[in-house]
Amino acid sequence: MQIRDYVLRRMMVLPILIIGTSLIVFTLTRVGGSPIGIYLSHEMTPEEVAEVEQRYGLDEPLPVQYLTWAGGMLTGDWGWSGVAAAPVRQVFPDKLGATMELAVAAGIVAVALGIGLGTYGGARRDRLPDHLTRVFSISGAAMPIFWFGILLLIVFWVGLGWAPIGRSDADIFQSIAHPTGLYTVDAVLAGSWNALVDAIWHLILPAIALGFGTTAIITRMMRSSLVETMGEEYVDAARAKGLPEKLVLRRHARRNALIPTVTVIGLSFGFLLQGTVVVEIIFRWPGLGRWMADAVLRGDQATIMAYVMFTSVLFLLVNLVVDVMYAYLDRRVVLGA
Amino acid sequence: MTFASAPEPAVDTAGTVASVVGLRVHFESKAGRVHAVDGVDFDIRDGETLGLVGETGCGKTVTARSFLRLVPMPPGVHAGGSIYFRPHVRCSNCSGLGCDVCAGTGRLPVACGECAGGGCPHCDDTGFETIDLSRIPERQLREIRGDRIAMIFQDPAKALNPALTVRSQIAEVFSQHRSDEVLELAGLGTSRNPLLRRHVSQTTRLFERWLLALPPMRSQRRRIEQVIDGMVAAALAETQIPNPAKVMQRYPHELSGGMKQRAMIAQALACNPDLLIADEPTTALDVTVQARIIELIKQLQVRHESAVLYISHDLSLVRRVCDRVAVMYAGRIVEIGPTEEIFANPLHPYTRGLIAAIPSRAHDRGQLVAIKGTVPELIDPPPSCRFVQRCSYAVSICGEIDPELASGPGRHAAACFIHNPPEDAAELPSFSRVTT
Amino acid sequence: MAVDADVRAPAAPLAGALGTRLRRFGELTREVLRNPTTMIGLALIVGMIGMAIFAPLLIEPNTPNPYQMPRDWGALNEPPGTPGHILGTTQQGGDVLYGVIWGARTSLRLSLIVVSITVVIGLIVGSLAGFLGGKIDEFLMRLVDIFLSIPELIFALAIAAVLGPSFGNIILALAAVFWVKYARIIRGQVIHIKQNEYVDAARVIGDSSLRIYSKDVLPNSITPVVVQATLDMGNVVLIGATLSFIGLAEAGLAEWGVLVSQGQAGISAGRWWASTFPGLMVFVWALAFNLVGDGLRDILDPRTETKR
Repeated sequence: MQIRDYVLRRMMVLPILIIGTSLIVFTLTRVGGSPIGIYLSHEMTPEEVAEVEQRYGLDEPLPVQYLTWAGGMLTGDWGWSGVAAAPVRQVFPDKLGATMELAVAAGIVAVALGIGLGTYGGARRDRLPDHLTRVFSISGAAMPIFWFGILLLIVFWVGLGWAPIGRSDADIFQSIAHPTGLYTVDAVLAGSWNALVDAIWHLILPAIALGFGTTAIITRMMRSSLVETMGEEYVDAARAKGLPEKLVLRRHARRNALIPTVTVIGLSFGFLLQGTVVVEIIFRWPGLGRWMADAVLRGDQATIMAYVMFTSVLFLLVNLVVDVMYAYLDRRVVLGA
Repeated sequence: MTFASAPEPAVDTAGTVASVVGLRVHFESKAGRVHAVDGVDFDIRDGETLGLVGETGCGKTVTARSFLRLVPMPPGVHAGGSIYFRPHVRCSNCSGLGCDVCAGTGRLPVACGECAGGGCPHCDDTGFETIDLSRIPERQLREIRGDRIAMIFQDPAKALNPALTVRSQIAEVFSQHRSDEVLELAGLGTSRNPLLRRHVSQTTRLFERWLLALPPMRSQRRRIEQVIDGMVAAALAETQIPNPAKVMQRYPHELSGGMKQRAMIAQALACNPDLLIADEPTTALDVTVQARIIELIKQLQVRHESAVLYISHDLSLVRRVCDRVAVMYAGRIVEIGPTEEIFANPLHPYTRGLIAAIPSRAHDRGQLVAIKGTVPELIDPPPSCRFVQRCSYAVSICGEIDPELASGPGRHAAACFIHNPPEDAAELPSFSRVTT
Repeated sequence: MAVDADVRAPAAPLAGALGTRLRRFGELTREVLRNPTTMIGLALIVGMIGMAIFAPLLIEPNTPNPYQMPRDWGALNEPPGTPGHILGTTQQGGDVLYGVIWGARTSLRLSLIVVSITVVIGLIVGSLAGFLGGKIDEFLMRLVDIFLSIPELIFALAIAAVLGPSFGNIILALAAVFWVKYARIIRGQVIHIKQNEYVDAARVIGDSSLRIYSKDVLPNSITPVVVQATLDMGNVVLIGATLSFIGLAEAGLAEWGVLVSQGQAGISAGRWWASTFPGLMVFVWALAFNLVGDGLRDILDPRTETKR
């Protein structure tokens, strides 16, 4: 079937893009800084340093070095993180859990709220609700995340003393097991009400800060998409069949309007990932983003390389999924119509 | 209420299925108020094909869409007039198959609610239920849309939802208007389950849809789907689409232009409407396909005995298809009458120009005849005749008063002083005097 | 149905492109003036650019480097409203108003430089890809795809990290990330023009590729490039400030991101002003350029053009 071909075609391009990205990342690190930096730590003796040099073939020509590094990435040797004083691979999962929890929470809210607001405004075109949602979406897209986060802190943390900083209260956190690495899920699994409340309480502010801009982007896309769809002839044709307006809106207008919105949702995932760097700094969230920020400031190349590769691959995969969904929803794309 | 139209002919057994009276539809724009439809009157008789012709911008599409209130109401404004409609119901004697009682049409006009057929002012003494389409509440209008009055749109590629299969789109009509029949045929007619009823008629709430997805309901849902599949296939087969069972699973973009239009026609005729509004149904199609679609519409119209309001800008096409023709210009009907009479003896100078412009063997090779000038601005139009700028026979009175539609010789009417001179005019226009 | 056929000669496609553009410019300004949100954006931009240009007149420049925040050891952490420091001072005694005004100047420099560089690079790469086609086109477009698969901020972060923390490196990092969209635009235009029939007509007449390029590709590309450049003027500052916030610029620089970052420490003590005002400026800057960019996009959208 044609969709299968389309998916296969897209999937075949993927490895090329990943390899290309890795080449760029690799080149970046060779451009500046010591090439062996990522595998070393300060405690090593000169003999150990020489041994590392030999092991990773750092006296070898560049292409070989690249292959060694790439091989390492694929087999699990991601180098040594100066910032964390531990192998990158070891520290990664915990921090990944923290960031994913934040990003997913923000993402779910952004998508649900964005589609809802966009539909609400678009269906009432040029009336007050529409104007309000448009103001929201334009200001949200231009909002610097770091500023918004700080404002939230000033108002809610300092001013009102409500939400706390960090991911959790240390005691409560340690009182339950963490099979998934996602605090909220772990709390539910452990049946601990205290932990769940603690998790959500800490999650609220950073999730809002992170999701605000994304919500705005999705709202705006949904609204303009819906307005455009409502003007299509088939919407009038649906009314001419005697369908109630709610059904026309739901089955004909909104479903078709969702299609372009889906691609924006994919793109906004990248926006979310970027945002985690800043939000984690401000709210002292122990995730990948903050780790990356520290790595950047302290020249921790292993972390930088691993982080960039990880986010790129993730971004590519998400966009692939989105494109496939898009092809599924809009059959015309598959035929190249 | 009076019906301003041609006088009833000597022998006229057909009733009137719809009457447009003094319809005015305006649009608010930045430049002013556009009088798109400015005082339109005509009847559509039961079973006839009435053509509504005019050039782009004359208001014919707005008029057609006003029947089903599809004109967006800001910026549109219903500035006056009404569209009266006499709905029919399935003849109980023959269950819609045709018999003497319903004169073979399968449909009978509904008796007037006020006088139960006796005759009263409410129904203008006809005894039949008459509805003002421009004023009835939305809920009532929705029952008529797709069921008693159906519409075929100009570009089937745009009028069919690209994200839904042909089947689901046609099924919507059955679900909306024939849900009881569907349940009956599925053997679920006696089912007391309100959820099922709502599912068929598409009025379920969100959580109800989740409930319906559960296994216990599955077999019932499947039966319903099968019944609807059968109805959709039958509708498609009527339009001579080969292999309806396969076609209905397709998406619109997978079909050719002609097939798409057939699907749309099937959708429109699914519930055997009293009136079919065809808005330039062949304009977006290839010439070769056009002829076949026109033939199809004609055949189906005869079979269903429905009236057709046929909108077009193509006079020669209208001649082949329509029993009567109404010519529209700048928001008004300027001439209306039986097709052959209009073509044989056009009364209005505009109609004359249109007919003369049709390329034919009568013209010299290489010569195209055109009507000079362009359509006038419809914002706050002056009280003159709207055609005065382009008319070759205009005199001073034409620039001062707007002529009304009034009967001329034969069974047709025109809005022109040539045929209905005003009493105190200084000079009278005539076809024998070309003034410009 | 033939209406009076006003037969005009078809507009000469070669000669007209630039002329039509200029004529449309007049209509464009009229459209812009009619749209309230765009007007607001424009007003804000004018205000901020004015602030940037007239910075030395508005507030006494710091010596020796006006782009460094001044330090007034006698006025640390003053709240807004203190005489001489309307918006308050920072932890190092820097006047917040100074940071706001000279930060505008810094942002203007940053955005102008980055946008200029990226437009030029994008122009070159896009033209090469479009005109030469074949393997080169494929390679360059793959490169563009790869660049686009890394989220902007993260990419710029990595580059700036590798180069070393300095404002100049932020400029380079941003330039390295932002050129791709222009390459795509230009390439798209070139290919579109190449496929167009009137290019064949031009070739028949004997026009060289260069003429076609300057007469058709460039004028037709102006519109989307201008829209993108306007939006980028805002987004470059947005991401640039974020990079500075994270710490990739020199401490003490009169730059909004740096100021927000340094003001963070005082927040728990209730000193909100050092972060709030500079951050507000970033928001206003990005908002203004986004408003104008969107307004331009709506006005210049070919679909809305044909509606008229």
